[in-house]
Amino acid sequence: MCKSPMTSAPVETDDELLLRVQGGDEGAFLALYRRRQAGLFRFALHMSGSLPLAEDVTQEVFLALLREDCGFDPQRGTLSGYLFGIARKLVLRHLERGRSAITLDIDSDNFAQPELAVLDDPLLDLTRREGIEALRRAVQALPRRYREVVVLCDLEEVDYADAAAALGCPIGTVRSRLHRARGLLLEKLHQERNPRRAPATLKPVRCVS
Amino acid sequence: MNCHEFWSAVPEDGDLASGRHLLECPACAARYRRHGELEAGFRALAEGFRRVQAPPRVEARLLSAFRRETGREIRRPVRRWTNMAAWATAFAAMFTLAAILVRPRAPEAARPPAQHSIELALLQPQSDADGFIPLPEAASGAADEDDVNLVRVQVPRSAMMALGYEVSADRAAELVDADVMLGSDGIARAVRFLN
Repeated sequence: MCKSPMTSAPVETDDELLLRVQGGDEGAFLALYRRRQAGLFRFALHMSGSLPLAEDVTQEVFLALLREDCGFDPQRGTLSGYLFGIARKLVLRHLERGRSAITLDIDSDNFAQPELAVLDDPLLDLTRREGIEALRRAVQALPRRYREVVVLCDLEEVDYADAAAALGCPIGTVRSRLHRARGLLLEKLHQERNPRRAPATLKPVRCVS
Repeated sequence: MNCHEFWSAVPEDGDLASGRHLLECPACAARYRRHGELEAGFRALAEGFRRVQAPPRVEARLLSAFRRETGREIRRPVRRWTNMAAWATAFAAMFTLAAILVRPRAPEAARPPAQHSIELALLQPQSDADGFIPLPEAASGAADEDDVNLVRVQVPRSAMMALGYEVSADRAAELVDADVMLGSDGIARAVRFLN
């Protein structure tokens, strides 16, 4: 009996590819890299705003994976979450060294509480070019703890479990940060739309480059 | 349901099926609408970055690093196993050769006196063109055997005496290099002394 020509080979999971990588399989390494590199690169780019840094981080993530003691444990989460976790640590390390071009120091619990704000003015159309650019700037201006959860969950569509693994926090924390981050973004975009009504609760931006 | 309960129940996704509160609360309805706009904005922003990826040079550098890493990791055990196999074979050959050469032999019957030339011919080791001397126990099987292995070992000079070489007694314990021809069954077929 011959097989149906429509039958396709099952797609290997990340864990299966990693096993082959650890056995020295170059093809598996390339497949894993090509599957995951873009998301990691974009995450580092959104977090840092720096293309060279995003490139370095992407490379370092996969170099870390090549080490025998890379530390990945399938019992503790997916490989994707683990890779984002490495990327996050690398980005933060670079940011702390002040290697990024410009970062915003508004990572504080004193940031405006937008949850119950009533905003009647329409936002920019966020699907138009200027609206998308405004949203990108607003994401970049978010405090780091909120920016990373928005980039992971809203832009890269990483599920909450993987995001929690990457951030090293409970899923509930991911949910609450995401909720707050969206509120902050709405507030920020509203202020951009209505600058004269901007509250004075925003802290001045500090360049650390 | 108040506003706080409404947003606590559905803090992050758009599944706001309990829409009664939205009908009753214009503030939450406006905020909910903005959340929808924000989600549309996220999708548009993500779409704009969809084709952004690491430049090809990253893949090239990683591939080079991978080859270095795996080359080191793979060669090391192979070399280790190869060395172990070589040593094991050498020891096996040496023990086989020693067993053949020093095995106890049945006492030979007294030979009739022979002429001096005939006695010398018997004492000379009978080697082939490559210098290999067939070993007594294996000479019959060596002729029709193609699959042989050659192993270099060190044996005491006393082993040469067993094959008819003249060795002074005070040098009998010295080691000499020898090539041992092993059959496919691992039994030594012939030996060639190198020095």
